[in-house]
Amino acid sequence: MRKHTLSVIFALLAPALAWTAPNPKLAMPEFAGLAQKATESVTITLDPALLAMAGRFLDGNDPQDAATQEVLKGLRGIYVRSYTFDKDSAYQQADIDAVRAQLSAPGWNRLVETHSRKSRADVDIYIMIDNNQAIGLALIASEPRQFTIVNIIGAIDLDKLHKLEGQFGVPKLDMDLSKTPAPGPPKK
Amino acid sequence: MNDGALDPLDDELAKARLGERTALAVLVQAHQRAVYSLALRMLGTRDLAEDLTQDVFMQLNGNLKAIESNKHLGFWLRRVTTNRAIDQLRRRTRLPMTSFEDEQPFFSAEDDADPLLQRHLRDLLSDLSPQARAVLLLRFQEDLDPTDIAQTLDMPINTVKSHLKRSLETMREKSLGMQSARCEDSST
Amino acid sequence: MSQEIESRIRAALRPVAPSEDFSQKLLARVIADQPARPKPRRLPSANARPLVWWLTASLAACLILAVGVQQHLEQQRLQQSGLEARRQVVEALRMTSQKLNLAYEAVKNQSTSLSDEKSGV
Repeated sequence: MRKHTLSVIFALLAPALAWTAPNPKLAMPEFAGLAQKATESVTITLDPALLAMAGRFLDGNDPQDAATQEVLKGLRGIYVRSYTFDKDSAYQQADIDAVRAQLSAPGWNRLVETHSRKSRADVDIYIMIDNNQAIGLALIASEPRQFTIVNIIGAIDLDKLHKLEGQFGVPKLDMDLSKTPAPGPPKK
Repeated sequence: MNDGALDPLDDELAKARLGERTALAVLVQAHQRAVYSLALRMLGTRDLAEDLTQDVFMQLNGNLKAIESNKHLGFWLRRVTTNRAIDQLRRRTRLPMTSFEDEQPFFSAEDDADPLLQRHLRDLLSDLSPQARAVLLLRFQEDLDPTDIAQTLDMPINTVKSHLKRSLETMREKSLGMQSARCEDSST
Repeated sequence: MSQEIESRIRAALRPVAPSEDFSQKLLARVIADQPARPKPRRLPSANARPLVWWLTASLAACLILAVGVQQHLEQQRLQQSGLEARRQVVEALRMTSQKLNLAYEAVKNQSTSLSDEKSGV
């Protein structure tokens, strides 16, 4: 009787307990109010169709384009929102918090959380891993007069991203995921 | 939404006013695409658009007797759809979230679709105030002239023209960006 | 230029159809909500067919003539879009690397401070 009851309970709960694949795509607010206040705003939304289209216009003979093509392989989306203002503190952390909250969901791993006193910039980088492969990257950079959110979807090859060094000035980051990232100073 | 002097849907309207259900179905089918598209592009998501579309046609049911012609019906539907959408947008206390996955068929999937222009347009729509958004859609989706738009939205005609001018300027700037990219790349 | 942008916006904003499922439900709901009335007497329909036919034929002829020009413009448009997409990819990766640089600098400075502390500087 008990066994039967347990089976019934499990059958009812099974759909809720079923494994759902992690989703590296962030849901972003529209930032309509901020766009009006910003002196410069950058909105880049490159879905698979546009990435494929861009890929066709990259010249394999050009070193920069060739490196970009390599990075693009396996990517399914690149999304950027960046707003620049003409004075400090023109945006609220609450504006970004809705995005940041999604990064505490299962699947996201904080790779690094940095604060620079010199540039007064906070940069948080998160990676989503599935089957030992990075499938999503999220970067939030908060500076006094600018914030930037980058979301990259797909089979991110951190090694190829690293090889963009010199092309775009990408630094050599220690991307060994087996190491536990050092905790940064507490966020304000 | 037919503008001709001899409009076969006028017959259907007359029948619908007398209670003939088939006639009402014909009218709904004739106008649902326009109503749905307006709702979708005003509110941004399919769920909200479907809810609004249904509400508008349910409201029509109770107001059929006041509709004099199919042309009048078109005017009435546009007016109710846009005004209800504007009310909904005004009542939103939080910034609406847009998942990048939420790429419902916002634009028609025709062969000559320009994905980049569509992206710019979608960004522009999300940055506009509800009223400005309604003006843009009534002009370019519904092909109304500024006088009709002013009447539909109970808005001064100069305000309508001002919204249109600003929206077109923004789109022109984005298009110039595209053309500059073409010139830069042609010259390399 | 202005006319071209307006026509492109118009093309992009052609109405889209709701899903078939929604359409069916909408019809069912609206009709169910309509109170039943006695069948009206048949109204005379307007003799609109010949006019509609001529209008359709004229429109078809205009469309056929415009196709050649349209195709050429379309090629140009797609090329512009492709180049713009490429520019955006480059810009997106540039911005990403710029922010990664900020993180790198912060980590590097922290490492430098820690090693300075250890060596008593």
